[in-house]
Amino acid sequence: MIETRVVEDEAAACPYCDRPLPSSRLRALHLGEEHAEAMTAADREAYEAARDAETDELFVFHLKVIGAIAFMYAVFVLAYMVALS
Amino acid sequence: MTRAGRIGIAVGIATLVLAGRVSAHAGTLGSATDAPPLPGWLLVVTGGGVVGISFLFTTLVTDHDLLRSTVERGRTLSISSSLRHGVSVLGSALGMAALVGVVLIGFLGPRDATANLAVLGVWAGWWAGYTVSVYLVGNSWPVLNPWRALVGSVERVSDRTAGWRARTLPGDGVWPATIGLVALVFLEVVMPIAEQPRLLATIVVGYTVLTVAGAVRYRDWFARADPVTAVFRWYGRLAPFGPDGDGIGARLPGAGLVRGDPPSAWGVTFVVTLLWVTTFDGFVSTPAWAAVARPVLAAGIPRLVVYLVAMLVGLGLFRGAYRLACRGSRRNAGTYVTTTAIERWFVVALVPIAAGYHLAHFLGYAVSFGPPLVAGLGSPLAGASVPVAVLPDWFGALELLFVVVGHLVAIAVAHALAFELFTGRLQPIRSQYPFVLVMVGYTVTSMWIVSQPYVRPP
Repeated sequence: MIETRVVEDEAAACPYCDRPLPSSRLRALHLGEEHAEAMTAADREAYEAARDAETDELFVFHLKVIGAIAFMYAVFVLAYMVALS
Repeated sequence: MTRAGRIGIAVGIATLVLAGRVSAHAGTLGSATDAPPLPGWLLVVTGGGVVGISFLFTTLVTDHDLLRSTVERGRTLSISSSLRHGVSVLGSALGMAALVGVVLIGFLGPRDATANLAVLGVWAGWWAGYTVSVYLVGNSWPVLNPWRALVGSVERVSDRTAGWRARTLPGDGVWPATIGLVALVFLEVVMPIAEQPRLLATIVVGYTVLTVAGAVRYRDWFARADPVTAVFRWYGRLAPFGPDGDGIGARLPGAGLVRGDPPSAWGVTFVVTLLWVTTFDGFVSTPAWAAVARPVLAAGIPRLVVYLVAMLVGLGLFRGAYRLACRGSRRNAGTYVTTTAIERWFVVALVPIAAGYHLAHFLGYAVSFGPPLVAGLGSPLAGASVPVAVLPDWFGALELLFVVVGHLVAIAVAHALAFELFTGRLQPIRSQYPFVLVMVGYTVTSMWIVSQPYVRPP
């Protein structure tokens, strides 16, 4: 059992394992990942919507990751050029 | 820009800033060392950068099922109970022979440490070489542990011990092993154990008396109080081979860390201590430490106090940094999981870092003292006469590589753990930012320590 502490009142607790989740999106994702068999049709719909929204956000995030990798690569190439010249 | 983007860039910048700051040290002090073809500061910065970039790469793997199946992947080889029994008898006999040998040779062998097989056996053979085998292959210590075998034979001789053995150590968790580990490393740093065979043998006898007495009295001694067993237990979870039911399981290196249950609160402190003592061991032999410690010692403060304070302050800093990173992880992920639970969940990821650092620090030692150790086994009391193997120049670069590889395994382990604990795909990634920052800083620090020339601790 993972220890949790709730700081806000409007926490959405998981109806199956009582784990409190800080947002309805995380609650929907949690249900889909951990209780896929038990959840209701409404929960499934919420899960799919939350997952789509997260996929979009993840795509933007990954673009930034690739940008950061390219940036660091460039910095290191320059650093080596300067250091070895 | 989103929070994730800002932090992603902050990680990159912090890598460069941290590295730049350390490079100021490395530039002045590193110039005296056997300089690699590249400037020392650039190597150190590259190490930090590689760790940062590999975190960015891990964020591309976001499939829970893929991560889980990677962790669970492996084979189990079952072993018959008669073979198990045979190996265990043979192992205890081997361990006992080594223990008796170390004590006898320590007392009776040559006084010169580099010729005395007990010193070579304990440092190069056991603490350097054997420990490497524990995290690179598997933990064979439960089979070899001579003290466990000794306790077993004490029990067979006297049934009076049955009553005592009902007791357990007071309190919870591995607090006695944590104290024991600090004490052992403190002894190793402040006393010339590696230089005086008689002193080494005395300490081994003392350790034996303490361990046997403790284990006869408390039945959970090896599980909670013996620091050596605890160190090998943690290192063994990193290894590709480990106990699995009635047999031996093969798994990806590090997967054993992700599979098990998280440790207790004292387990967290123990692992942080393990990481700190490996660092401290290297840190006290840098010129920087000598420059700080010499004036303090000259001012008349006793040596034991200086080292004890340095050791405990450093431990406090490490423990505090880990707590802060976990608090940051909690805030950044936006989760109700408590900081304590996060600390316990992710602490196993520190084990590969400690192992990588150990490998960097001790592999050269094991390799260079290996030939005299093996050659000396033929005539144990006469001592070693074969010269120490000379390491090639590129070995220094290899050591730096080990530090980085340790961190890379740690990043992978923490990534798998984060996807196991948190929900969705972005929350686990966000939870890792504070850890990555601390890790990049630590990579740079430990690469700097490893690249320093050896100075005898004052």
